[in-house]
Amino acid sequence: MIDGTRRTRTRLTSALGLGLVAVLSLSACAAPEPGSKTGTAGSSSLMLAADNGSPTFVKNFNPFVIEKRTTATIINEPLMVVNALDGKSTNFLQTNYTQPDAKTIVSDIREGVTWSDGEEFTADDVVFTYNLLKEFPALDSTGVWSRLESVNAEGQKVTFTLHAEDSSAPIIVLAVPIVAEHLWADVADPATFTNESPIGTGPYTLGDFNANQYKLEKNPDYWQADKVAAEQLVLPAANSQLDIVNNGYDWAYAFMSDVENTWVAADEGNQFWFPAGGTVAIAPNLTKAPYDDPNFRKGMSLALERDSIADNASEGTVDAAGQQGLLLPTQAEWLTDAIPDEGMVTQDTAAAEAAFAEAGYTIQDGKLVDADGNQATMTITTPNGWTDWLRAVQEIQKQYTAIGIDVKINQPQPAAYFQAVQNGDFDVAMTSFGGNGSVYQGYYNLLSSDFLQPVGTSASSNYQRYSNPEVDAMLTEFRTTVDEARQKELAGELQEVMYNDVPVISVYYAGLWGLFSDKSFTGWPDADNPYMTPTPYTSAALVILTTITKADG
Amino acid sequence: MWYLLRKLGLLLLTAWAAITLNFLLPRLMPGTPADAAIAKLAQNGPVDPATRAAIEAQLGVPTGDAWSQYVQYLGNVSRLDFGVSYTFFPQSVSTLVMNALPWTLVMVGLVTIIAFVVGTLLGVLAAWKRGTWLDTLPTLGGTFTSAFPYFWTALLVVFFLGYQLKWFPTSGAYGLESTPNLSLAFISDVIGHAWLPALTILITSVGGWILGMRNNMINTLGDDYVTFAEANGLRSRTVAVKYAARNAILPNLTGFGLSLGGVVGGSLLVEQVFNYPGVGYLLYNAVTNQDFPLMQALFLMLTISMLLANFLVDLLYGLLDPRTRR
Amino acid sequence: MTVAVNLPEPTGSTPPHQPPRGADTVVPEPHGPASSLRVLSRGAATIWSNKKARIGVVLLLAFVALAIFAPLIAPYGASENGFGRNEAPSGSHWFGTTAAGEDVFSQIVFGARISVLVGFIAGFLSTLIAVVVGLSWGYIRGPIADVINFVVNLVLVIPGLPLMIVIAAYLQNGGMTMIIFVVVLTGWAYGARVLRSQTQSIRGRDFITAAQFAGDGAARIVFHEILPNMTSLITGSFFGAATSAILAESGLSFLGIGDTTTVSWGSMLFWASNSNALLTGQWVLLFAPGLCIALLATSLTLINFGVDGLSNPRLREGSGR
Repeated sequence: MIDGTRRTRTRLTSALGLGLVAVLSLSACAAPEPGSKTGTAGSSSLMLAADNGSPTFVKNFNPFVIEKRTTATIINEPLMVVNALDGKSTNFLQTNYTQPDAKTIVSDIREGVTWSDGEEFTADDVVFTYNLLKEFPALDSTGVWSRLESVNAEGQKVTFTLHAEDSSAPIIVLAVPIVAEHLWADVADPATFTNESPIGTGPYTLGDFNANQYKLEKNPDYWQADKVAAEQLVLPAANSQLDIVNNGYDWAYAFMSDVENTWVAADEGNQFWFPAGGTVAIAPNLTKAPYDDPNFRKGMSLALERDSIADNASEGTVDAAGQQGLLLPTQAEWLTDAIPDEGMVTQDTAAAEAAFAEAGYTIQDGKLVDADGNQATMTITTPNGWTDWLRAVQEIQKQYTAIGIDVKINQPQPAAYFQAVQNGDFDVAMTSFGGNGSVYQGYYNLLSSDFLQPVGTSASSNYQRYSNPEVDAMLTEFRTTVDEARQKELAGELQEVMYNDVPVISVYYAGLWGLFSDKSFTGWPDADNPYMTPTPYTSAALVILTTITKADG
Repeated sequence: MWYLLRKLGLLLLTAWAAITLNFLLPRLMPGTPADAAIAKLAQNGPVDPATRAAIEAQLGVPTGDAWSQYVQYLGNVSRLDFGVSYTFFPQSVSTLVMNALPWTLVMVGLVTIIAFVVGTLLGVLAAWKRGTWLDTLPTLGGTFTSAFPYFWTALLVVFFLGYQLKWFPTSGAYGLESTPNLSLAFISDVIGHAWLPALTILITSVGGWILGMRNNMINTLGDDYVTFAEANGLRSRTVAVKYAARNAILPNLTGFGLSLGGVVGGSLLVEQVFNYPGVGYLLYNAVTNQDFPLMQALFLMLTISMLLANFLVDLLYGLLDPRTRR
Repeated sequence: MTVAVNLPEPTGSTPPHQPPRGADTVVPEPHGPASSLRVLSRGAATIWSNKKARIGVVLLLAFVALAIFAPLIAPYGASENGFGRNEAPSGSHWFGTTAAGEDVFSQIVFGARISVLVGFIAGFLSTLIAVVVGLSWGYIRGPIADVINFVVNLVLVIPGLPLMIVIAAYLQNGGMTMIIFVVVLTGWAYGARVLRSQTQSIRGRDFITAAQFAGDGAARIVFHEILPNMTSLITGSFFGAATSAILAESGLSFLGIGDTTTVSWGSMLFWASNSNALLTGQWVLLFAPGLCIALLATSLTLINFGVDGLSNPRLREGSGR
């Protein structure tokens, strides 16, 4: 009996095994990806690495939530898009905006625009969208209602009234993606709404959607349809570096190791542009000795050989950053003459030692020691897995070790890193700032005591916990004045603070990793024409997609 | 009966302890889900301070003290309601798990079965032809390949078979333009995509079965009853298959049972390299994004299925070998 | 004893491929407290007589030598950079250079230190815990055995790799010590279970009963009477645990958990895949560390073929049919 059942089982198993082998070998010749196009010149569809599945796509086109399909910001246009490199704006759903005073923004809403379902777009939609964000703070991811008092429409004019005078408000307030009142008014909980059939005013509408790839089709009724060159956008979910190099993308966003020999060499017409999109800095914890002493911080700044750090961090594709807190060259017009060398600090060991000496630290037997003979120690906190930062920290460690500081590297997981820096639980932390197009916002987020929190309480910015009433006064005046000349003067004073008081030590620029192909489309932004950041996952894509043209041939 | 009850009691106790550990473990990790979300955004550049408030409002970060969270968690577990994932907000944890599970069960499950069948057969052969190349090759080869790190095998397979030779697609569970359905075309698409991850798991796991079966088999072949059967003039092959292999496979079968219990866990590193939308990838996402609800559900599913497999194997052993019941 | 060869696939949920040892285990003839030196030399001879084990021993010694003499063998420091980036193999850089301009060959040489060290330390600690727990568990009856059973089962069912990631995140930045800790914490239970079964088998033997009647304490019986009869199994456990530890370390390092600035074979692979070594033509950078991990792990498994022969004469080479 037992024998009988056993035999059956054995046969069944082997039969199953054989069957599987047969099925598997049949499918062995299944062709590789049908969807990947291999660089067909002159194609009217544009393959884009802008949205990564994890590993597949979830259909969520709610433009306000973090886990959205990034192209929701192409489907739903804002009033205007700001170039984060220089703060210049391009109008979309408005034709113009004015600031009659520093507390008011008036936007002229574009006429003749329709939603992709045929309904007319009106100023009421704009007001509705802003009030939606007010009602559901979960949607307000840029904090517009921390600035706004009210939003009202009068004909084609929408008036934004601010809480306080704030000349820097437009670039944040006017950048919200606008949704249709007739579709969103009935949504019970917009924060969990997944907006599976997105309707927008943008240049593209949702086409085929699959978990591994989706398409956006050109919106034939788009208000500037003549400017839209690509008939279709193709977005695969998997965009590894291997995929990007091998599958013939037209526009990708990825740091590419050895970019000349990989991406550029892969296909004719491949090019890259890695502009500075923020400043990577080391933030000393100003509540701790010896970092509370500006002389010590100056020593830290002078001891660094920034070029080699930048070189190590991103394989020589980004530049060292100056101590003035600006993104160069795109914000060069804001530079002051009051600081030497446009704020660049070059390594000067003698000067660094002099600065350390003023802070009470001297070199003995190759070690930097305080009055009691104890060696200066420093733990640099950087998130685990952020390899460019880590490479930079390793180089910083080498350089500080050379001057006699005992440096350790602490690499918590990214979430733990953020908890640590927000709570002020660090000696020196890798951090980044700037890069949203506004010189004022850059300095404000970095230096304002509005963010000041005691150690142990989470601060949302100004992690180094800098507090200086004079700087606060400068920032307030910067915010309230609409006089550009005065703004530039204040920016100059802030640069002097950055340079002389060293609240953080700027090290190098964080690159934006734009990879483009000229094969099917031309007119991508580059160093000569930096009209927009090469970031396809933001509304910057709107500007680029309405600027590029079809390549000849 | 008493034996069974005691075992069952122990099973329930272990299950409770595992459930509790699943609650505690994610909370040991420093950083909140909001911190993890910001960390993800910050990789693309500095994050606006206002974003944090919106993210916390979106995710509805857990409130209340640990004890009330625990009580609530126990209630949710009993209703199999794990809430909403943070990473894949606003998708529910159950939906995510249910979407990922079939891929893992089919791909990893089938490979586990294939590896077991192939490994066991090769093991029998190796023991039977001991000392010949039929022994040396699978034994040494199995030893070597089972020492390959999974991720390394996966990377090599991707590069050589995927990118160099372009024989197989290298990522995902199905084609770019297909939507899951039950058509023949889709199934063959799925099989095409399963080749490389399956091959990776097969290469690294088949050796264990070969070696295990070979040793069991050599032991059994030395047993008196096998010698007796041979002395009685039975054909060698009959002896090998009918007498020796059948007994030698028993310990391997229990190992197989435990492997099947582990299948639901998928294979984290392999699924990650191949972008395979299974449980392993989901688990990786959950763990690296501080996604407590998702982690809890997945850890629970894994531990419970391992517990059950262990329990069944224990029972099986109790039936087959009364000595272990003491 | 054939050892669980593979790191139970990194979720750790798949159990090692070795089935629990049940009734069909061949129990070695109990031998009294013979001269330990004689046992040791006899054991070594048995292992050496096995051709596979011999290869394993030679291979292992080679890696150990590489680790010990790393500074003499390696032409450069492990994290010494400043050479050209992504260079192909050449006379001055045998295996080429990394994306950060480090010498690949030197990294391989220094990487041996971490793998050998982690393998031996974590293998030893796991085995130690497994022996203490497994033997007590197998000998003791009653509620304490149930408690141990409960703990071991718990450790066995919790998925390994995710557990390691969570603990690693919790401990933050412990570097190699942390990795060893995590590997030991998740790696001892399987060995404990194997040793328990064997202890249970031996417990029923006459010489144990005799010792019990002679009034020997439990601890003495377990560690003086039972333990010596299990040396080969324990040795096997050690090599198995060391193999798992080496593979686990490489997996964790590959995921970038722990200290990625420490040069180990796993972290080399982390950096290699991070800078996409295959795209830049650095195939040696990707191939060599993995091969080294595989060879080191193989050497341990090969030695175990010889160890198997210790406990089980049928598995000795040439004793076949």
